[in-house]
Amino acid sequence: MADRAPHDFGKTVINAAALLLVLSYALPYVYLVSTSLKPAADVQQIPPSFFPDGVSLENFATVIGTAGLPNAFLNSAIVAILTTLLSLLIAVPAAYVSALYRRRITVLFLLFALVTRMVPAVSLGVPLFQIMKTLGLLDTTIGLVLAHTSTAVPLALLLMSAFFEGVPKELEEAARMDGCTRFGAFLHIILPLMPSGLAISALFSFIASWNEFLFALLLTSQNSKTAPIVIAEFNSVYGLAWGPMTAAAVLYSLPVILVTLLLQKQIVGGLTFGAVKG
Amino acid sequence: MASIQLDRINKVYGDRYPAIHDLSFEIEDGEFMVFVGPSGCGKSTALRMVAGLETISSGELKIGDKVVNNVDPKDRDIAMVFQSYALYPHKTVRENIAFPLRMAGVPKDEINERVNEAARILELTRHLDRKPAKLSGGQRQRVAMGRAIVRRPQAFLMDEPLSNLDAKLRVQMRAEIVKLQRSLGVTTIYVTHDQVEAMTMGDRVTVLKAGRLQQIDTPQNLYTRPANVFVAAFIGSPSMNLYEASLDGVDLRLGSQVITLPDAIFASRPSLRAYSGRKLIVGIRPEDIDDADVTDKRGYAEIAAPVTLVEALGAETMVHLAVDAPWVDAEDPDAVVEGGAQRTAVGRFSPRTQLRAGDRARLAVSAENLHFFDPNTRNSIW
Repeated sequence: MADRAPHDFGKTVINAAALLLVLSYALPYVYLVSTSLKPAADVQQIPPSFFPDGVSLENFATVIGTAGLPNAFLNSAIVAILTTLLSLLIAVPAAYVSALYRRRITVLFLLFALVTRMVPAVSLGVPLFQIMKTLGLLDTTIGLVLAHTSTAVPLALLLMSAFFEGVPKELEEAARMDGCTRFGAFLHIILPLMPSGLAISALFSFIASWNEFLFALLLTSQNSKTAPIVIAEFNSVYGLAWGPMTAAAVLYSLPVILVTLLLQKQIVGGLTFGAVKG
Repeated sequence: MASIQLDRINKVYGDRYPAIHDLSFEIEDGEFMVFVGPSGCGKSTALRMVAGLETISSGELKIGDKVVNNVDPKDRDIAMVFQSYALYPHKTVRENIAFPLRMAGVPKDEINERVNEAARILELTRHLDRKPAKLSGGQRQRVAMGRAIVRRPQAFLMDEPLSNLDAKLRVQMRAEIVKLQRSLGVTTIYVTHDQVEAMTMGDRVTVLKAGRLQQIDTPQNLYTRPANVFVAAFIGSPSMNLYEASLDGVDLRLGSQVITLPDAIFASRPSLRAYSGRKLIVGIRPEDIDDADVTDKRGYAEIAAPVTLVEALGAETMVHLAVDAPWVDAEDPDAVVEGGAQRTAVGRFSPRTQLRAGDRARLAVSAENLHFFDPNTRNSIW
């Protein structure tokens, strides 16, 4: 019994540290949710209270009635879904080729993808604006999808190539001997082995587009405004609508949380991919 | 079924040393051909070129009457069994075996029939609905075989298919593969680094070294009539003992020992007489030396050497002997050199031998079975 005490103590310390870490992630979000549930009068009280005195859905009612917001939500969804599809369509085959046919050129290709992730988004904004203007794609869904895809593809590419590297080359060769073309082998054999990789890449691409603010601010004005822009507009020259803003932010975060929960199994499987020999 | 012809096949990677150099031979229809050689000899590369998984730098490859240099693997009508089996992990055994038929557009009923037949032959019927991860090594190997035989291809290619199995299972599967190949009569190329597999399985064996063909022959001929020093040392276990010696008339001088060669040797190797007064390489198989005290010495020459090590294996006893002649390296990169620079000869002795390490042994050498090689070309002297 005596030797169990240090073990329990260690376990308690680890649990406490984990709890602290979770709180540091969750606290801003919990505060956002609690603010969104406060009655309008309590939102800006000084000193602010962490928990609402009474729960009110008043802010949510205001938000749902706000002109343009439902449309912005729809735009966000369309842009994020199209960005995800397009990114995977480009990144998955490219990642497969660069992982399975490793040459100097493919290494450079992946390195270049990594470098593009290091360029600050703000420095890409102006050239992107010029390009979209020239193409006549300003304030269009397709314009924003292309802009988001340009940043989502490198991420999906890097993620997927790491997954493909874990696939033995013999599987593709066996499929080719069994009557497949290279693309057929990829489609019939390799891709079905990648549910975790695809889930993670899709989720990251979706979140990157769903949460994106800067390009949406620069490239849209009326028709294809996404929700982050409309939410930011609650803070205007006429004042800061703090309550509705938090309510809109809470609503906006729900789809991502839902998708993450739905794909939880694949994501956890994917995050530990390659950690142990399968 | 079809023959496979290689005509001056070369493979060069970039500007580097050629992986395959001018490989030319024909594998007959229905033949079981084994490619054997040490690691890096090009045997797998040669197989992969036949499969279409490696490009051919120059030369011509024919399957049947058709030149297939630029034909895609899927259109060559050959099946391959990989060292790692390469089973599709997300598919059941049934789906794995059916996959090539599905790709070929075979009707569903026929697929079922042929998969069931293959499963019956390979005793996999009970496992058809399992995933590969739930199978043992031997069963996985059978599934890989099933995927190959179900197609009824023109040829089977097997790339070290037994090397991931334990020794006991390997012996069992070895016999099963041979039995299966004989019953199906499909032309087969089998790659291995294990000379026991090569000798027991192949109708003929191709010995390769550093991308070059050393000899193609039946297993028995490889053993009794090796083309050169490398083949002589590579085939047979333990390896042939190779020493520098000199010939003086009918007397072979091996270090301080002299062996008088019988007339039969000169009759079977007429060129040997020309080496009188010259150096040559002599090869003695371990099974051609025995303890002179326990063997019938008729037809044997007697020499003496100190014993350095005795390994009793039950049915036989391996005796290591310090022969005082210069040792000849067979240039097998995989060969394990025992005793470092101090190379010893090995004799496969009768278990009745009483020799112990440190004794000076009287050895009976089967002089008729000695092998002779030219010291410059390293080819056999015939």
